[in-house]
Amino acid sequence: MGSQTKERILFFALGVPVVICLLAFFWIAATLFTGVGTLSPEFLTTSALKGGALEMIVGTIYLFLGAAAIAGPIGVFAAIYLVEYAPSGKFTRIIDQAINNLAGVPSIIIGLFGFTLFSRQLGFGISLMAGWLTLALMILPIVIRGSEEAIRIVPKSFKQAALALGATKWKAISLTTLIAAAPGIVTSVILGIARVAGETAAILFTSCVIITRGLPSSPLEPVMALSFNIYVRIVAQGEPPESVFGIALILFFIVVAFSLIAIILRVYYRRKQPWLH
Amino acid sequence: MSYDDKIDIRKLNIWFGDKHVINDLDLKIKANAVTAIMGPSGCGKSTLLRALNRMNDVIKSSKTTGDVFIGEKNIYENGTNVYDLRRQVGMVFQKPNPLPKSIYENIAFGPKIHKTAKGKALDKIVEKSLRAAALWDEVHDRLSDSAFDLSGGQQQRLCIARALAVDPEVILMDEPCSALDPAATAKIEQLIRILSTDYTVVIVTHNMQQASRVSDYTVFLYLGDIIEQGDTKAIFENPKHELTEQYITGEFG
Repeated sequence: MGSQTKERILFFALGVPVVICLLAFFWIAATLFTGVGTLSPEFLTTSALKGGALEMIVGTIYLFLGAAAIAGPIGVFAAIYLVEYAPSGKFTRIIDQAINNLAGVPSIIIGLFGFTLFSRQLGFGISLMAGWLTLALMILPIVIRGSEEAIRIVPKSFKQAALALGATKWKAISLTTLIAAAPGIVTSVILGIARVAGETAAILFTSCVIITRGLPSSPLEPVMALSFNIYVRIVAQGEPPESVFGIALILFFIVVAFSLIAIILRVYYRRKQPWLH
Repeated sequence: MSYDDKIDIRKLNIWFGDKHVINDLDLKIKANAVTAIMGPSGCGKSTLLRALNRMNDVIKSSKTTGDVFIGEKNIYENGTNVYDLRRQVGMVFQKPNPLPKSIYENIAFGPKIHKTAKGKALDKIVEKSLRAAALWDEVHDRLSDSAFDLSGGQQQRLCIARALAVDPEVILMDEPCSALDPAATAKIEQLIRILSTDYTVVIVTHNMQQASRVSDYTVFLYLGDIIEQGDTKAIFENPKHELTEQYITGEFG
């Protein structure tokens, strides 16, 4: 067999997983799309008390926005510390490993942890706040790793230039490296959101209830969420899958939209970062 | 220190980890002149240069002992304000390193962090620095363009202007032309000669022809020791030390 033929076979072989992924994606989208008939502007904006989806949509959005607001800054500062300040040694390696481990913890266990610490011990009960803190734990490793990567690929020459002009280490980092890394950091937060927007196990017993009376007026109140609602309908209320396709489609759309935004941002900012080429 | 010495280096020793890079070095550098530091790769030229604005401090494994007097002040004394030192002793790097900002913001960066000017006064400083670096005519109408839109030679002049914007007394240049084409190199060499009227310039160079074109004094460094130093013309025409002569005639690089 000639080497060119081998190349061709390899090319197609590598393409097979991609094709499988695309097929799976479109099959899911198409299946969910059969439920689009249940969606209407009224449905999306009416309260659950009248059979609408308003509180679950808003609840989902509140949950991931709050979690991102908490995990974002903490994650970015952790990344800055790990890349720029942490001494190389055992302690730093342990932190590194801990972040990897956190990323691998099953979400139900994170939910259990959140329930025990935030809901019970800290007294937040079943609330938006407990959900925020729990989901933040899931977003955190994604933001830390993504931000670390974004900071690491910024040329060190920027920081050197700033230092040689008399900047302190923090000013050199914040006024050059961080600004250059900002697009990558923002992308990592958006990817974190995409990860938790559809999260069910972590919010199962930390923040969600089957139905609420209108939107929450404080973070100490529980919320409804799209993923939780799908779970309840199928498992607790024994409804057929088709009945939740509409809601699932909304959730699917939110997650896909955020992933797309992350991709578009990355492509857009690539052009504005000439030092990457 | 005689009245026309700007920098007085005494018993300077620098280690990187266990490696002894600069060896008990004494050197005086004259004010308002161009001094070239020359020598083969790895002999410590850049390390010596970086000792003058304490940029070696940034490298964790580095250790420095000895004194360096710039003007009357010992910059290695306890309590030295390193940030002000780096304003006073500017540095231009081998590969041009513009900040990822506009041309204007690059020049304004120094004055902004040292809070030396804002508004119209800052505009004036930016113009003055760009003129001093012979770049104003080429960029005055596009100051908000990204610095990365400039050519290599223009970027290097931008870096020089950026260092000038904070009103330094000394300018350190680490092989400033090695990444540039001959035309850009010629422009910068011309600029270096002009700058020496107002500033003390110390330039590290690999290129002997450049050293002889551009400098008033030359220091030949070999493995962390000064082998020979003096008037550039004298050193090139009449090297006293055998190693110097071998280096000049290209017997080793």
